[in-house]
Amino acid sequence: MSIVSETLNSANAAATSSDRIVIDGLDHRFGESVHAASNVSLTFAPGEFVSIVGPSGCGKTTVLNLLAGLIKVQTGTLSIFGKPPKAGRHDVAYMLARDCLFPWLTAERNAEFGAEIRGMDRAKRKSRARELLEAVGLKGFEESYPKALSHGMRQRVALARTFCLESPLLLMDEPFGALDAQTKLQLEEVLLSLWMKERRNVVFITHDLAEAITLSDRVIVMSSRPGRVIADIPIDLPRPRSVSALQKDPAYHRLYAQVWEQLEMGLKS
Amino acid sequence: MSNPSTVPNFERFETIALVVARIVFLAFFFLGWEYVARNRIVDPLFIGVPSQIAKFLWNGLFVDYSIIRDLVWTLGSTFLAFAIGSVAGIATALIFITWPLFERFSGPFFSALNALPRIALAPLFLLWFGLGIWSKVALGASLTYFIVLSSAVAGIRSTSADHLTLSRTMGASKRQIFMRVTLPSAVPTIFSGLRLGLIYALLGVIGGEIIAAEHGLGQLLSFLAGSFQISGMFSVLLILAILGTVLIEVMNIVEKRLLRWQ
Repeated sequence: MSIVSETLNSANAAATSSDRIVIDGLDHRFGESVHAASNVSLTFAPGEFVSIVGPSGCGKTTVLNLLAGLIKVQTGTLSIFGKPPKAGRHDVAYMLARDCLFPWLTAERNAEFGAEIRGMDRAKRKSRARELLEAVGLKGFEESYPKALSHGMRQRVALARTFCLESPLLLMDEPFGALDAQTKLQLEEVLLSLWMKERRNVVFITHDLAEAITLSDRVIVMSSRPGRVIADIPIDLPRPRSVSALQKDPAYHRLYAQVWEQLEMGLKS
Repeated sequence: MSNPSTVPNFERFETIALVVARIVFLAFFFLGWEYVARNRIVDPLFIGVPSQIAKFLWNGLFVDYSIIRDLVWTLGSTFLAFAIGSVAGIATALIFITWPLFERFSGPFFSALNALPRIALAPLFLLWFGLGIWSKVALGASLTYFIVLSSAVAGIRSTSADHLTLSRTMGASKRQIFMRVTLPSAVPTIFSGLRLGLIYALLGVIGGEIIAAEHGLGQLLSFLAGSFQISGMFSVLLILAILGTVLIEVMNIVEKRLLRWQ
């Protein structure tokens, strides 16, 4: 019976959701003891910037890795633009907390690496990589090797590499988690400006509430294990946003307090 | 004094002073040696005479070219041993990576072969490959092979898991991952294996030549020892030390060019 209903479900989802990302009834366990995600159902509209926040170990990264196709779906259905997740799909780009630059490639060759793997035309990916490096503030560092770049600069290259892929869905796993506070704010600004130009779907994992509110259209709060969605809060701050101006904006602080309350409840439960 | 432009000058001065000090030291060393040998404080039969060493070198390098000829034989054998040993080592590493079960199966055999003191194979290789260069090549290659094999396996295994994950999400094929990610990450480790492998190839070749050969610096060395030409032996040792240094230096230069990014 379950096979039939699942097939029906996914057929349904495929028919109605070729332009959105749908997670339905997701349940995931690692071994016997770790229940990483429990009954997670979410739908992301086209071009939406969504953050998932929650205490560490709440399964937010599991959700992202499932979307990326890096781990197999156990229960529930996932559909990205009408198709099930699969690692290496060209309409999905993935970014990690560690910059993952190849030390043997220059900044520019790193930035175009993904596009090159995906067979983008050489001249096109070169000019795109150069443009993006300039956009992330690394003009003049195109020929530098990663060892010569600071932490923040390396993560800027990783951002450029991610945006150089023309994927409509970006999956980001705490991309600024390893940076100091100052650099983090700068990179948030860069990410916002890149995103504003193209409005792709972003699923952004973070444990930093301020970051989530600053960047997102929607903040999803997950509870500690087993990870459940306990709040889904729209962030109606006007765009374009300025990261530094937001720090002084009362509306931003009201939202912060609201989301924080939800997160606290999630931690208690 | 605090003028910063004087600092590099001082460093330069120090470098020159060190070079001068080394030359002075060597001059005194050889003069002392000459004195001790000429006055038979120590029998020159054991330690040779520096002036004789110089004469032998001059003769062998510029007059009858005997040292040059043997040097060419030794270098040729070393190069062949190094090339064969390292290509075979890297090829075996690729087989191990592709079929891990084969690696597990053959692990003990390889360990046993590697643990065997390779010079003990020299008589066997002489029997198989004769007195010519191929028995020396075989000995040198057998040393290089295991060194390069283990470094290549270690290098390929050391690929960062993050790099592999990222490449997967980008949609890289197995071949692309190997050529663009695994291989470049393995290069530094493989290279340190190659450098060591080259020195061991030379060791194997010289060892083989000492045992039995028609040509080569090792053969020359054992001939000179057999006929008590101690000064000649010292000149060959000098050539060998220079040869080893040059080989290492060449590898360092190649490595620097290849691994600019490090």
